[in-house]
Amino acid sequence: MKIVVCIKQVPETNNVKIDPVTHNLDRRGLAGVMNPFDKNAVELALNLKDTTGAEVALLTMGPDDYAESVREGMAMGADSGYLLSDRAFAGADTLATGYVIAQALKKIGDADLILFGRQAVDADTGQVGPIVAEFLNQPQITYAASLRMSGPNEVTAERLLEDTKQTLVAQLPAVVSVRSELNTPRYPTPRNIQLSFEKPLTVWHHDDLDLDDTRLGQSGSPTVVTKVYAPEPVKRELTPLTGTPSEAASQLIKALKEHQLI
Amino acid sequence: MPSTTAAAEKLLLQMVDDYTEREISPQDMPMDKAGDFPAGFIQKLTNTGFLGIMLPQEFGGAGFGPEVTADVLNHIARGNASTAVTLEGHFKTIDQILKYGTPALQKALLPSATDRIFAFSMTEASGGSNPMGIGSTATREGDHWVITGDKIMITNGGLAQVYCVLVKTAPKELSVFVVDQDMPGFSFGKREDFLGLKGTPVGEIVMDHIIVDDDHLLGKVGDGGIIGDSAHDDARILMGAVLTGIMEHDLKIATDYAKERKAGDTPLTDLQVTHRKVADIAMRKETTKLLYQKAAQLKAAGQPYSEEAAMAKAHGSRAAVSAGDDTLQILAGYGYSREYPVEHLIRDARAMEIAEGTVEKMRSAIAKAEFNK
Amino acid sequence: MSKPELWVIAERRLDHIEPTTQQLITKARDLAGNSFKTVVILLEATADHLEDELTPYGPDEIRVVRDDRFPTATDAEHADALQQLVETYHPNGILFGATITGRSIAPRLQAKLQTGLTADALGLRYDGETLIAVKPSYGDNIMCEITIPERRPQMVTVRPNTFVAEEAAGTAEVTTTTVTFHPVDRLQVTAATPVVNTATTVGDASRVVALGRGAASAAMVNHATQLAEKLGGRIGVSRPLTDQDRFTHDDQIGQSGNTIHPELIINFGISGAVQFLVGMQDAKTIVAVNSDPDAPIFDVADYGYVGDAQTFMTALLAQFN
Ligand SMILES: Cc1cc2nc3c(=O)[nH]c(=O)nc-3n(C[C@H](O)[C@H](O)[C@H](O)COP(=O)(O)OP(=O)(O)OC[C@H]3O[C@@H](n4cnc5c(N)ncnc54)[C@H](O)[C@@H]3O)c2cc1C
Ligand SMILES: Cc1cc2nc3c(=O)[nH]c(=O)nc-3n(C[C@H](O)[C@H](O)[C@H](O)COP(=O)(O)OP(=O)(O)OC[C@H]3O[C@@H](n4cnc5c(N)ncnc54)[C@H](O)[C@@H]3O)c2cc1C
Repeated sequence: MKIVVCIKQVPETNNVKIDPVTHNLDRRGLAGVMNPFDKNAVELALNLKDTTGAEVALLTMGPDDYAESVREGMAMGADSGYLLSDRAFAGADTLATGYVIAQALKKIGDADLILFGRQAVDADTGQVGPIVAEFLNQPQITYAASLRMSGPNEVTAERLLEDTKQTLVAQLPAVVSVRSELNTPRYPTPRNIQLSFEKPLTVWHHDDLDLDDTRLGQSGSPTVVTKVYAPEPVKRELTPLTGTPSEAASQLIKALKEHQLI
Repeated sequence: MPSTTAAAEKLLLQMVDDYTEREISPQDMPMDKAGDFPAGFIQKLTNTGFLGIMLPQEFGGAGFGPEVTADVLNHIARGNASTAVTLEGHFKTIDQILKYGTPALQKALLPSATDRIFAFSMTEASGGSNPMGIGSTATREGDHWVITGDKIMITNGGLAQVYCVLVKTAPKELSVFVVDQDMPGFSFGKREDFLGLKGTPVGEIVMDHIIVDDDHLLGKVGDGGIIGDSAHDDARILMGAVLTGIMEHDLKIATDYAKERKAGDTPLTDLQVTHRKVADIAMRKETTKLLYQKAAQLKAAGQPYSEEAAMAKAHGSRAAVSAGDDTLQILAGYGYSREYPVEHLIRDARAMEIAEGTVEKMRSAIAKAEFNK
Repeated sequence: MSKPELWVIAERRLDHIEPTTQQLITKARDLAGNSFKTVVILLEATADHLEDELTPYGPDEIRVVRDDRFPTATDAEHADALQQLVETYHPNGILFGATITGRSIAPRLQAKLQTGLTADALGLRYDGETLIAVKPSYGDNIMCEITIPERRPQMVTVRPNTFVAEEAAGTAEVTTTTVTFHPVDRLQVTAATPVVNTATTVGDASRVVALGRGAASAAMVNHATQLAEKLGGRIGVSRPLTDQDRFTHDDQIGQSGNTIHPELIINFGISGAVQFLVGMQDAKTIVAVNSDPDAPIFDVADYGYVGDAQTFMTALLAQFN
């Protein structure tokens, strides 16, 4: 069995600032790390590797320094990595990102299971997994809370909706995005960190993939970010709960109902 | 692209920070209160490969160099000094086996250093700062040695399974042997109840006619003094790193608190008395960091580093006690309260004015090195 | 010429409409003004009448597609049905709830339609026919305005409980239409069961009952446990209560404990020291109960009751029952 885990590199902290002059995001001094949610996907893959001997590859699209996150994943135990890096891919939104990832997966060819994190902590969309599933015409299980092999070519997963637990059975190949509650990712060991530098990392540029240039990067992206700003701090206004304790309690219950909190 | 070494070191420190934040820092206060590691703590550290960080790859370790190894302990100590000191004791011991062990001993022993803790023991009830005062002996009987004696105040004593022990092979002759807790005649004595570093076990071992062969001798007969000094040198670099971490912890507490607290209507950050303390803590931290990093750099380059290592610890230990004292004063009542970590940071730092050579001995060593220039 | 359509995709939750749908109808009406027609798309089983839960909110039209396979349809099957509708009616915009279901179906549909999708919006407005969505990112530390200037439909998922649902006058026209259901047999939903409370720690609970030194009695703890159960949440405590045997450092909120971001926190007998506040002030709704009217906790609270914690708790629980 072959598993490909799609990972993204994100800034180390979400505490990004806006440059007061240019109004752009000030990412200076922010180190890149593997998207924390993607570690759950890597862990799931490594678990399946431990139990079934699956081969685990990592795939990322991004600038050259995304190789660091691929190394980290290989230090956790993945066998190999693919980096899709080209100026033409820059500025991609979820659609253009999903397209390039899907084309790369077609070239890899034989992945039985394609795993995603629940969402990237920077852009926070969670859209890339389903988009890739659609482009590959594969079934998807999003936000999986558990997953096991239930047959030679079949996985059974649980998915937690807001107030419902679904059980789903998928025939492979399939796309799965995982919830962080699924597992606790292992740490890369110091020795595996060193050994990861001996594992194969394949870099594919534009010409290595079969691509429609109109679907790439910024120009292939339907969405445009027109403005970036820091949110106003929430200003709270105190509504006193008054009267007898019982009256005050019923005011609270009414307010909580209005806010859909009960 | 950065070099492979730099990239690997960056990943290592990233992992260490992550591990420290999630697994080690939360145990800092509980360890101090309980006076021990929580159950499973060392096992998890071991499973994650911490014991093999500086062990060469041929023995199953990760083979990281002296500089990043010291940085690792620095980063761990930002969360908890005891954990860093336990690793320090292990690493300095491995260093001596690498420097002085026969290839056969290294091959037999070192692969187990990824999951067994090693310790180096010199001190006895009759002698700490004066090695010639020890009473443990190794006597030649036929083709082997018989070791007898009682060692106290060993970092990781009771936790470690392998011990390098300083013994007398003749009235004026010191040598170092390696013994294993599984050898007949080996037993553990009492654990110390120390003021600080409550999570690091420090204890006693008793050796009653332990029989070892020549391969368990480090270096040559009579090399004990040199090997003991070498262990001190390696330990002192790492302690400089640990002390830097403690001061970074102090600095974080002090600045976080000052940013939130007001004296009357004035934020603490606007008071000159606070400026003076915070600046002093920062300067002490930074000088100690430069010292340990310089010593580690010299060691990595194969140059003498004994004097710099002594400076890192001699300067760093008093610096960290003072940094803790200033932090305590900024937090005032909360600083003095055992509900908050500051007071134990002082107690933790204080240990390093004594362990691995007292500050007095280190000053003598530094002064002698200067006289000899 | 008929007005361009702004769609809200209705979501079902077990046998009901998920409340975000109603919130989105109110918002869609507001956005539409006189320029757009608000249409709710409802995929339901033949015997269902979930449109009855939508009409009071006054969309212009509720377009129903019935097929008994919809209640257990997979994301891909839903997206396929919606694609057929989009290709028939060509809406200008489509709003989904940013629920797990919405966030799973919408991107699949987006990929089919090759258009843009803005995720998890907190604000929406039209500028002419261009829909501007305000999207949080970097864990809500940054806001972006995102548009889809060229392609249609403009798709957005909207965070639940961002807008308030309001019933509205006017009669929604209920129409039915059909699509071809293309089953995907490689994926089956084999079970669906309701779950109540999945939070296991104060850190991931969406509702928190917080107790402080003024609410430390055994009776108070007992009542707080009941309240937390009813809310589907957890108990959290201020520093002093971690000295009690039943609480640990893991339950503590604050600088040296957990930083939490619940939907709701109800604080009993907590003064509101800075070290406590930094751990919880990002909560969406903050309620404080304290006998001291000058307690700093009231400075960050949305709702406040000045008085005895135990008395208020008793009254609150009584009304819950
Ligand atoms: C502030 C901001 C807001 C944005 N908002 C939107 C928006 O609303 N709509 C939109 O279409 N685009 C948006 N974008 C662009 C979009 O986020 C990026 O194009 C990104 O490449 C893909 O989406 P994501 O980061 O949200 O990933 P998600 O879809 O959240 O990531 C889900 C999973 O997909 C995988 N994955 C994601 N990216 C990669 C990658 N490059 N390589 C390999 N695997 C990957 C990972 O497994 C990840 O866990 C935004 C960008 C920014 C900076
Ligand atoms: C470095 C540092 C870190 C810290 N970290 C944390 C932290 O992580 N978390 C934390 O919580 N604290 C922390 N503290 C402690 C913090 O400063 C406060 O001391 C603590 O939060 C106070 O807890 P409290 O509000 O429960 O108690 P108090 O401050 O004693 O407040 C009790 C409140 O209960 C009210 N009250 C009393 N009786 C009743 C009644 N019958 N009905 C209703 N109300 C009543 C009182 O009016 C009062 O406002 C930290 C302090 C320091 C210095």
